[in-house]
Amino acid sequence: MKLNLILFALLILFALVKINAHHQYRVNHHALEIEKQRTIELKDEQHRLLIEESSKSGNGRILEYAKGKLNMNPPEKKQKKLIK
Amino acid sequence: MRSKIKKNHEFFELSKFRRRLTLLVLLTLFCVLLSRAFILQGMQKDFLQKEGFERSNRNIELYAYRGKIYDRNNQILAASETVRSVTLEPRRVKFKKGDKKKLSNLLKMKIETLNKKMKTKRNHIYLKRKVDPKIASKILALKIQGIDTEKDYRRTYPDHEISAHVVGIYGGDGKGLEGVEYQKNDYLSGTQGNKKILIDAKGRIVDNLSEVRVPVDGKDVHLTIDKRLQHVAFQSLKKTINKFEAISGSAILINSKTGEVLAMANYPSFNPNKRMKKRSPFVRNRAVTDLFEPGSTMKPISVAAALEKKVVNVNTKINTGNGLYRVGRRLIADTKPHGIISVKEVIQTSSNIGATKIAEKLSKKDLWQTYSNFGIGNLSGINFPGESSGIIRNHTKWTDHYHMSASYGYAMSTTVAQLARAYTPFANKGEIKNLRLFKNDPIKIGQRVLSIETSKNMLEIMETVTMQGGTAVQAAIPGYRVAGKTGTSRQALKGGGYGSVNERKYNASFVGIAPVSNPKFIMAITINDPSRGSNYGGVVAGPVFRKVVSEALKIYSVTQDGIEIIVKDNEVDSQEI
Repeated sequence: MKLNLILFALLILFALVKINAHHQYRVNHHALEIEKQRTIELKDEQHRLLIEESSKSGNGRILEYAKGKLNMNPPEKKQKKLIK
Repeated sequence: MRSKIKKNHEFFELSKFRRRLTLLVLLTLFCVLLSRAFILQGMQKDFLQKEGFERSNRNIELYAYRGKIYDRNNQILAASETVRSVTLEPRRVKFKKGDKKKLSNLLKMKIETLNKKMKTKRNHIYLKRKVDPKIASKILALKIQGIDTEKDYRRTYPDHEISAHVVGIYGGDGKGLEGVEYQKNDYLSGTQGNKKILIDAKGRIVDNLSEVRVPVDGKDVHLTIDKRLQHVAFQSLKKTINKFEAISGSAILINSKTGEVLAMANYPSFNPNKRMKKRSPFVRNRAVTDLFEPGSTMKPISVAAALEKKVVNVNTKINTGNGLYRVGRRLIADTKPHGIISVKEVIQTSSNIGATKIAEKLSKKDLWQTYSNFGIGNLSGINFPGESSGIIRNHTKWTDHYHMSASYGYAMSTTVAQLARAYTPFANKGEIKNLRLFKNDPIKIGQRVLSIETSKNMLEIMETVTMQGGTAVQAAIPGYRVAGKTGTSRQALKGGGYGSVNERKYNASFVGIAPVSNPKFIMAITINDPSRGSNYGGVVAGPVFRKVVSEALKIYSVTQDGIEIIVKDNEVDSQEI
């Protein structure tokens, strides 16, 4: 009778441990999914920044900026000096 | 002891009626449970399982990025970026006062269109796809019930129309439609993944169920194109076409040592970031797809054939007469009479009669063989989608007139890319190089088609073209020695022939090599039907060469061939050579 009770208690204990472990697994899995999602978001951001960098470093934009805002223009023929 | 047991037994003893009643109640309850279980498990099993799965199971797509396209300096030419698609649930949607107007303004959509979309019977529709994330955030900030956004991806081309013909277009659904996007589609395309997940009551993902397929991103492609030179080539081409009111133009700049394509531009172009309702006629990469009669740009090849066969030498005198020469029924003409000139001057002045008389000394087979060795009628090695191989008849089918026409670049057709390739032997001590567009493609050993001596002689001959008295002084670059050849060829009309003087259309071309002392760059340009000012290759296409190759020489820090300094009144002034 005692043995049966002990076995029953153990059964209950193991069942609780299993439920807890399963729950813990799900909590951790959820945390992992959040991290994965964050990785995807960072990758998206990286792509976006690469495109932005490429767009802003384009020759056309630099030329426009140099001429328009910095007032830089190619030197005229008289201003050119060739060195031997 | 026995009496005690009896007593206990008696204590639990129930009357027959009570025993039966208890049994009946228990049996009834059991039957109820059994029937309920039967209904749930047997009769409603499928429905309940479906409902259960729908609440807890989800299939999610895992996006694989399409590979990026880079230029030779790792600058992005094409990449995918995240955008949002605005969704609408017509049954749930509730607008507060002013929301509809704000939404239509943000979406740049008329209120009538919005109303029309809301009348749909479907549960879920897309109001607008591929919306900028910043606009999507503003839409979400309006907090309109039934309006939401979903993640989406869009192919972006930061260079817009400048590299459009090379990079091509991506049509969605994993299919490239034009250019490198089409050519390297299998390489660029990733494999989409998916997985079945389990969610809890709060909607959190708590387990992967099965069928997890990991997404595999597409591979990146590195081109040999230099974005800086591509920009200069495109802008110069655009400026020239507008200035001379031409129909279109194409240009290609290659590294003469390796055959790498540094710039390949066409104008008019198209913006690959904009969706085209109709397929534009300017979408194809005309530098590799469109054929034209190369005209005088072929003369260096026919002269090289004659030098190689030793039927003439650089100083052999050719009598071009009064500028008119009859071959059978046909009359060959020069732009002006040149009289007796050397082989060098035949190229410098671009004399058709001179080229014809030199070609007369060659057999049809020898001339055809030389053209063929120089890649005319063959693919350039670039492997671009839709590339034309050019047309040149086999020498067995050549008439005498065909033979003469071929000597100055008529009766055959090439692409601009083939034209640039055909000049690689002059810059590579007689070796022809295949063109390369992909950085990782192996460099193939060039095939020898000319002797070192002939190629050196030809470079020197072609240098006179950009010197005073030549046909392309506009292509000369201060500080550098430039060799090249102009071409002003008449366009064949649809019905055949070249038409009367008023009907005639021209292709103005130039192919140049710089610097002559140690050739680094070859550039071929053709301008289709320049109709204002001039139609000469040197005048129209020469300045494009000068602008682009000057930049290339500067960017790649190529040492100058020779410079002069003139000091006047203590002022340092420059003189263009």
